[in-house]
Amino acid sequence: MEKSIEEIWKDGFLKSDALIAPKINKLYSQKSIHIIDKFKRMFRKNLIAIAVGSLSFLIVSYFLHIAVMGVLFFIMMMALLFINIPLLRELENIDKGQNSYDYLKTFSHWIQKQIAVNKRFATFMYPILFVAIVVGAWYSDTGNGYLGERIASGILVVFPDTYLVFGVPLFAIVIGLIIIALLIIFGGRIYMWDLNVIYGRVLKKLDELLEDIEKIRSQDTA
Amino acid sequence: MSTDFYNTYILPFSGIIIKLCRAYTNSQEDFEDYYQEVCLQIWRSRDNFREESEWSTYVYRISLNVCLTLLKKKKNNVQHYASDYLPAEETEDNYAFSDESLNQLYDAIRQLSEIDRAIIMLYLEEKPHQEIADIIGTNANNIGVRVKRIKIRLKKLLDGKIN
Repeated sequence: MEKSIEEIWKDGFLKSDALIAPKINKLYSQKSIHIIDKFKRMFRKNLIAIAVGSLSFLIVSYFLHIAVMGVLFFIMMMALLFINIPLLRELENIDKGQNSYDYLKTFSHWIQKQIAVNKRFATFMYPILFVAIVVGAWYSDTGNGYLGERIASGILVVFPDTYLVFGVPLFAIVIGLIIIALLIIFGGRIYMWDLNVIYGRVLKKLDELLEDIEKIRSQDTA
Repeated sequence: MSTDFYNTYILPFSGIIIKLCRAYTNSQEDFEDYYQEVCLQIWRSRDNFREESEWSTYVYRISLNVCLTLLKKKKNNVQHYASDYLPAEETEDNYAFSDESLNQLYDAIRQLSEIDRAIIMLYLEEKPHQEIADIIGTNANNIGVRVKRIKIRLKKLLDGKIN
C-alpha cells in the first residue's frame, strides 16, 4: 500500500544517518553570514568611514586654505551620521525570535524607512556638496586674496562687459543654479540607483514572503 | 559559544533545525552554513527570550526566520536567496538521505514556496496548528486550510503529475 507523506517522513527519519548534526567549531567567533548582520557591518563601516573621512577633510581643508569647503562638508556628513545612527540602532533591535510575519515586516519596514530617509537626504546632500565645493573654492585663500575674486577679475579683463552680482559673474551664477536644480531633481534618483544594487533583490524577496503570509492570514476573511 | 549552551538549549532541537535547513538548501556545504548560522543566531538571541512561549517555539521561530532571510553563495560566487532557484537545481548526490522515499519527499517540499515549506515541515513534526500559527504569524484555522492544500500539492508532486 502507498505510504502517506506523514509515514514517509516518520519512517525516513527513523534511520540513524538522517539527523546527524554538523560539527560546530568555534561558533561564537564565526562571522555571521546573515543578511541583517551583513547590513549591520556595512552600516557600521560606512558610518565610521564618514566620521573619520569628514573629520580628516576638515583638518586638511584648514591647511589647504579651503576651510569653508571643509566646514560645509563636515556639517553635511555629520547630519548624515546623525540621521543614520538611529537607523543602525533600529536594525540592531530587529528580533529574530518574533513570528515570521512580524520579523519580515519589521525588516522590510526598516529597509523602506532607510531608503526613504536617505533618499530625502540625498535630494539635499548632492546640491549642498556642490555648493560646498564651489563656495569653498571661491573663498580659498592662498595668500593672494580669494581665488574667486581673482578669477572674477581675470574674467573682467577678458570680458569687460560681464555683469556681476555681489562680485560674482551672472553667467556663473546661472550655471551654478542650473547644476543645483539638476542635482535636486536627480539626487534622489542617483541614490535609488545605488540602493537597487544593495537592497533591490532583498526587498523583492521580502515582499514575496510577506505576500504569501498575508494570503494565509486573509483566508478567513475571504 | 558555550558548549553547555549548545548541548542544553540547541542540541535537543537539532532535529528540527536540521530538517528545516535541509528544506532550504541543496548541498552539504550550504546546509552546514545554514545550520551553523541558525545556532549562532539562537545563541545571540538568547537574551531576547521572554518565556511568553516555549523555548522550542522560540528556537523554531529563529531557525525559520534565519532560513528565510539567509543569502547563500552560488557556484559563481554571486549571492542568492536559497529558495530562488531550489526547484530548478538538482541536489548533490552526497547530500541525499539513505531513504529514497524521504529524498523524493524532500525534493517535492523544496518545490513549494518558502512559507509552505515551513508550514509542512512543522506539520510533519506534529506541531499543533496553533503553534505553527504562532511561529508563522497567522491563526490556527488558516494553517489548517493551508496544510490541506499543501498536502494535495505534495501528493501531486510525488505522483509526478506536476513539475
